[in-house]
Amino acid sequence: MPDELVNLSIDGVAVSVPKGTLVIEAAKQAGVLVPHYCYHPGLPVAGVCRMCLVEIEKTPKLQISCATQVAEGMVVKTQSAPAKSGRTGVLELLLINHPLDCPICDQAGECELQDFTFQEGRPGTRYSEYAKRFNPVEDFGPDVLYVPNRCILCTRCVRFMEEVAKEPVLNVSERGDRAFIGIHPDARLDHPWAGNVVDLCPVGSLLSKDFLHKARAWELDKTASVCTGCSQGCNVTLDLRDDVVVRIRPRPNLEVNRYFICDHGRANYRWMNRGDRIEAPLVKNGNDLAAVDWDEALARARALIAGAKGKAVALASPGMSTEALFLARRLLSRLDWTGAFQVTMGEEAPLAGVPNLALRAERAPNGKGAELLGYGRDYAAATKAAESAGVVLVLGDADAAVKTAGAFIYLGTVLPDPARAADVVLPIANVAEEDGTFVNRDGRVQRYSQAKPAPGMARPAWWVLAELAAGSGERGLGSAEEAFALLASSVDAFTGLSYARLGLAGRKAASGARVPA
Amino acid sequence: MSTVEEYQPVFTGKARERLDDILSRYPTKQAALLPALWMVQEARGWISDRAMTEVAEVLGITPAYVKGVVTFYTMYHQHPVGRNFVQVCTTTPCNICGAEGVLQAFLDATGAREAGATSPDGNWTIIEVECLGACGFATPVLVNDDFIDGVTAEKVPDIVKRYR
Amino acid sequence: MGYPHKSHARETVVLSKHFGDADAKSFKGWVKRGGYEALKQAQAMDPPALIEEVKNSGLRGRGGAGFPTGLKWSFMPKEKKKAHYLCVNADESEPGTFKDREIMRWTPHALLEGTAIACHAIQAEVAYIYIRGEFTEPFQVMQTALTEASAAGVFGKTQIYLHRGAGAYICGEETALMNSIEGKRGNPRIKPPFPAAAGVFGLPTTINNVETLVAVPHILKNGAAWYKAMCLSNPKSTGTKLFSVCGNVQRPGNYELTMGFPLKDLVNDLAGGVKAGRTLKACIPGGSSVPILNREETESCLLDYEGCVEKGTMLGSGGVIVFDDTADMVYQIMRLARFYAHESCAQCTQCREGTAWTTKILERVLSGQGKMKDLDLLLDLSENMTGKTICVLSDSCAAPVVSGIRKFKSEFEAYITGKKRPAAA
Repeated sequence: MPDELVNLSIDGVAVSVPKGTLVIEAAKQAGVLVPHYCYHPGLPVAGVCRMCLVEIEKTPKLQISCATQVAEGMVVKTQSAPAKSGRTGVLELLLINHPLDCPICDQAGECELQDFTFQEGRPGTRYSEYAKRFNPVEDFGPDVLYVPNRCILCTRCVRFMEEVAKEPVLNVSERGDRAFIGIHPDARLDHPWAGNVVDLCPVGSLLSKDFLHKARAWELDKTASVCTGCSQGCNVTLDLRDDVVVRIRPRPNLEVNRYFICDHGRANYRWMNRGDRIEAPLVKNGNDLAAVDWDEALARARALIAGAKGKAVALASPGMSTEALFLARRLLSRLDWTGAFQVTMGEEAPLAGVPNLALRAERAPNGKGAELLGYGRDYAAATKAAESAGVVLVLGDADAAVKTAGAFIYLGTVLPDPARAADVVLPIANVAEEDGTFVNRDGRVQRYSQAKPAPGMARPAWWVLAELAAGSGERGLGSAEEAFALLASSVDAFTGLSYARLGLAGRKAASGARVPA
Repeated sequence: MSTVEEYQPVFTGKARERLDDILSRYPTKQAALLPALWMVQEARGWISDRAMTEVAEVLGITPAYVKGVVTFYTMYHQHPVGRNFVQVCTTTPCNICGAEGVLQAFLDATGAREAGATSPDGNWTIIEVECLGACGFATPVLVNDDFIDGVTAEKVPDIVKRYR
Repeated sequence: MGYPHKSHARETVVLSKHFGDADAKSFKGWVKRGGYEALKQAQAMDPPALIEEVKNSGLRGRGGAGFPTGLKWSFMPKEKKKAHYLCVNADESEPGTFKDREIMRWTPHALLEGTAIACHAIQAEVAYIYIRGEFTEPFQVMQTALTEASAAGVFGKTQIYLHRGAGAYICGEETALMNSIEGKRGNPRIKPPFPAAAGVFGLPTTINNVETLVAVPHILKNGAAWYKAMCLSNPKSTGTKLFSVCGNVQRPGNYELTMGFPLKDLVNDLAGGVKAGRTLKACIPGGSSVPILNREETESCLLDYEGCVEKGTMLGSGGVIVFDDTADMVYQIMRLARFYAHESCAQCTQCREGTAWTTKILERVLSGQGKMKDLDLLLDLSENMTGKTICVLSDSCAAPVVSGIRKFKSEFEAYITGKKRPAAA
């Protein structure tokens, strides 16, 4: 049953929105961003900052648009003199105690107080002869610092912990202009999802210790990606400075992680910058591995595959892209193929206030993708089968402790000792260095994008596997998008999907499909 | 070497019974928070962080939550106060009737010297408070739980003597 | 009566009849004086009929807002689907107001009876009487009275509980009061939802002031028409009101007057006027949150809701604060600003920061370092603090500042120009 629609006008623009929509949300449809602090679509409405004041015809007082529902025929004016004056007043009052910390504050460049002050604030202060309130910085726990001087008491952090994390470990203490965000001396902010308060804080009051003074917001290149920490598949943004990943932040996706990511995922980026990468293709040369160019390495590997008989075993990491997993299977499809993946398990940590959102026990982003493509979970059995296989493919830094009589081809980003037994070692890109997709535990296919170049001669795994299948002189695949198109046309579960259709929010795969031989 | 004293819970025996009776008045446990805090203050004279943790456990809420409530309401003491706790109203209606003189008289007569500080002998803490709701009987003063109407600077020494 | 003084001939003594009469505090004593008959009467009526009677009387909320009581009761759901609650606002903290304290400590049963009648009208099984923490004596008196009356079984199925506050003026705001009862910080709530739809514990709730409720038994016994006829000026303001007169008057106390009574007579006649040799300078008629009146306005103001609005102020809680010529208006306005800054709950930016800044500016003016532009700044700040917040504490801070600067500008200028020296610290 469709929602009843309400028609109203915002700054002269007519919009039609479902009944019950807040004016501040309806304004977005009219292309109007009403300045605000305490309001957040992922949190219950508080209505305390008073920043989102707008004028509504026939209503004598200014109204806060975050707590006002649309009404038929409502005429909203966000730019009228009284509305602007109301908001300018709020900004002035927020700035009387707020220190001029911009030069040393992490939030600068992505600070909503800066942004709205530039937009609507007074050019100078009238609070010149009085001391600003001062309190020292507090350590709230594992990763969060609280700078009381910068706090504007929007209470987003308190509401997040209370209503979304369901662990009220933060409070507002004291009253009046003495108020600050408090924590009980015995408590720490160590909830598995607590790091979100840093993102939610509109100013530089709650800070990540990990990110402290690391980079300036305007130096960062931002790329859409998917978290590799577990099978939930939270959407993230990778922030890079000079091609080094320095921060992961949540990217909104109402179907998956809403506006949040867990601390485990948030911290899970240092490996993307590892320096000890395989930089060139390697081939066995006596007892050593010798660096060669791609042509030679590919030729050697193709020959090994062409000459293989009997079984083929693919031991894959569930952190490999769906495209790579598909191409690995397709490459060996003429043989008696077994594929397996191994998942590290950990403790589940749900975000209680959001349905179906947790740090999942399965600590891998593409276990479901591997399953849909016919990979099994009995890694030990597959490793055993590999002993008598004609060719063994170890993909994506999977456990390479395998003995085989057949050919051993290793695709990975780093070279652990067991992988040194391989006949051919092909360096591949990691998640930050390629385009690709993961399928999360709910069967949602989501794209991730390349954020930085791969080091040395490393290439995306999909490219390497397509080349291996193509044969010398033939063309492999030109892009991850092409690889996915091939996948979608071959595997029922992915029918009808494409990069364009997946967009930035992903789509569900069809369930219970089988992989054609 | 001094040892850390083990915390003695407040809500045992009769106090626990009283709390249970209070709990029966409200549909949520949390609603008993203000009464529970009063009970702690009556028993111990003030509300420590440790006591807040006990209250939190008993009511099924977090210590941080309890602390947020304790720091909001000015009548809850977060640290020990003098044996006699004196609250003198100095808001405008009493102010124009000499309330600040009454405050000063208390500070002088008790040796407390400064509002908010405890006197050296530990017997008196005098504070300035906002309107006590007895403006026609200026200046009203609370000495512990005794609400005294019509206090003037001249009457203060006798009052102090009464509580010595 | 003008307790602690004897009743003045010009008072209309109804609610204050037994102030000072210790025997009236006991259950027996109250019954002897005709108590609890109105409750029996109410219990035999249908709630809609009860609400209609109170509506017809013209009774309006005596806490400060003056909202028609019968109308407020009628907002409660007629069909009872969930538990209903009554909250009695005995948080009396508005500077200048001291009537509810007297009602509770002299006539506790009047409040209990009014509470029980209201519960019947709004179909509430439970009532919480929220008494501010500092009212230790009224709390004891109410507790004793409640125990006695409950034992006598007069309340039927209605449960009345006392709930003690802990020092927060803002808990007198009805939604903050509800949060305080729920065991939370006393933060006012945004409306909607309104209390009658979702109040305490999310259930339908009515909040009434002490003085409002004690009028109800009289209305039932004597009839709505009787109450409505007590009116000296505007027919929309009926009945009697306890006016708490304090400050620079010779006979401060609570005076019970028919609505529409001249403020000038209350101050000069009943309350004895200012001390000999002094002159009246200013008067705040409705508790510190309403604009200050100068002498001329005081002398021509009628004490009802409309009469005060006509003079640019409000009846509010009826706390009449009188200032004579020795009062330093700048200092007292600073002291009021400091009061509001101390009591701000900290939710709204304008209130949290604005009340503190206002206080600082006024302190600077008093220290001799103020500038003329500080007065413009104060007016601008007050404009920002008015009409833009969850509750009206912010507006209440602005009211004395704006009216004070406009009407007593010379006193501010005297500090700024150095004509008046700062008082010794």
